[in-house]
Amino acid sequence: MRDNGKGGALTEVTFYILLSLYTPRHGYAIMQFIEEKTAGRLSLGAGTLYGALNALQKKGWIAFHGDNEGRKKEYLITKAGKEIAKKELLRLQELIQVATEIIGEG
Amino acid sequence: MSKKYHRFYDGLLSVQENWLNKMAKKGYRLVRTGKLLYEFEECAPGQFEYRIEFIGHKSKEDVIDYCNFLEDLGYKVFFKNINLNYSIGKLRYRPWAEKGGRIATNSTTFDRELLIVEKKNDGKEFELHTSYEDKLKYCKSLRNAWLCFFLLFAILGCVQRSIVWGIGGLLVLIPIIAYQSEIIKIRHNAKIREW
Repeated sequence: MRDNGKGGALTEVTFYILLSLYTPRHGYAIMQFIEEKTAGRLSLGAGTLYGALNALQKKGWIAFHGDNEGRKKEYLITKAGKEIAKKELLRLQELIQVATEIIGEG
Repeated sequence: MSKKYHRFYDGLLSVQENWLNKMAKKGYRLVRTGKLLYEFEECAPGQFEYRIEFIGHKSKEDVIDYCNFLEDLGYKVFFKNINLNYSIGKLRYRPWAEKGGRIATNSTTFDRELLIVEKKNDGKEFELHTSYEDKLKYCKSLRNAWLCFFLLFAILGCVQRSIVWGIGGLLVLIPIIAYQSEIIKIRHNAKIREW
């Protein structure tokens, strides 16, 4: 999984998962969040979501939320994850600024 | 009323997947799998959709975790064997599995190399792997499994100087080439887009 820890860009999937986890969500709710926010443009496969969640957990950007006694596991973004997301926002703002200068307002 | 079929698809994952989806379109839903057995029950035509995933390279814990995840999403999961083997208590070393190979036993993923995933049709597309990065990883796991068979056949063919292994090796080359060309295609697309 590519990350912007060293200054690189996040993938869209990674960034959306991080954004969805500013509130605790389980797998299905993450999928729904992303589909809703992108009006169906980005639809995540279960295997892809599973791989991404595991990778993000290993990086320490997200973690399980609560005791997980219930059947459905919930995830939440960590402090480190929020820092990464903030950096990505700045990177995208820069990109948008450059693109707007050249292309003009959409 | 339930319907039973006895079929064997070996490594022909997409053929098996297409058949299950054809059955679902006709109004039959999978309720049980055995070595050769597929048992169906009647349902509304097109109510369910199926995808098949190869999981032979995963550890037992990872498979359980993945299945739980899929079930949490509302999918139903069946295990299926990829090949036929009637021995009990056999060990299999899988050099193509993650982390430098794994030993498969009857209690791990031996005889449960495939997952059949069932989703209730909600009008949306049903794909398990959507990003290029993830598709690439999945395709590689399949190619490596076949590649390993190829090497085994090649070694046996050289040692025993038998044409049978040679033919086996040639047959195994077909899926290797198919998956490899898929990998090349995905890599090419991934240069420009993420999914």
